[in-house]
Amino acid sequence: MSLGQTDLLSGLSQADAERLLALGERRQLAAGESLFDLGSEASAVFLIERGMMALTLPMRVGGADQDVLVEERNAGQVVGWSGLIPPHRFTLKASAQAATDVLVLPRARLEEFFADNAAVGYVVTRNLASVIGQRLQVFQAMWLRQMQRFVESRT
Amino acid sequence: MVMFLTIMCMSLFGLALSALAFGAATREERAKQEEALAATVDARLAAVPERFFVHDMASVRQAAEPALTPRMPIDAILLQIERHVRLEQAAAESFLYAPSRESLHGRTLSPLVH
Repeated sequence: MSLGQTDLLSGLSQADAERLLALGERRQLAAGESLFDLGSEASAVFLIERGMMALTLPMRVGGADQDVLVEERNAGQVVGWSGLIPPHRFTLKASAQAATDVLVLPRARLEEFFADNAAVGYVVTRNLASVIGQRLQVFQAMWLRQMQRFVESRT
Repeated sequence: MVMFLTIMCMSLFGLALSALAFGAATREERAKQEEALAATVDARLAAVPERFFVHDMASVRQAAEPALTPRMPIDAILLQIERHVRLEQAAAESFLYAPSRESLHGRTLSPLVH
């Protein structure tokens, strides 16, 4: 994975991206291993270096709670943006779909780094807003498609 | 006067004997009628839906239980949901790349919408 392919670091110089990545710690996840749970405190964001993460929400199926896939994230993409956005609670559950490596970027280190490097903070925040905005737009479209089907089934 | 009282006592005694005889003669028929009436009432009560909270909830629960039984294995349902989400997400993303009414409401092959 090259630095230019990561959605969080897009637009940063090579030097700034490397300084930012140096703040993180690598973590390996086995297939099926959970990275974070719905509602838990979010104190870091995660950059996927290898593998694939499944973002799920609980749904009642057949009388029992099941984790239902909502979104998949691949190498180069970020998960856990709640780590930088208040109220810092994860709104999904993330688990590895295959053997996965992530870079854990703690909020405390990032905020300290951004305080000293405001331009880098601006670019990263803009990239994060793009990730959040895209998810919002995708789910708006998915919701409207579902509503359209509901209306068609009633008319 | 004595004769009058004697005749009155004899009449009352005769009336009592007649009433007893009538009652004995019709007792069996009356019992049959009561049994038939009770059976009719029981049948009507059974036909009326049970009322009041506990019985109502019990009947609702009994009616709902068969619907909760999954008609297909949960794993199969989850796989269908996953497939549906992937297809719907792809359709939504294609709408974002080229926003139009057609791309927004384009059909997918998801089994959950057919």
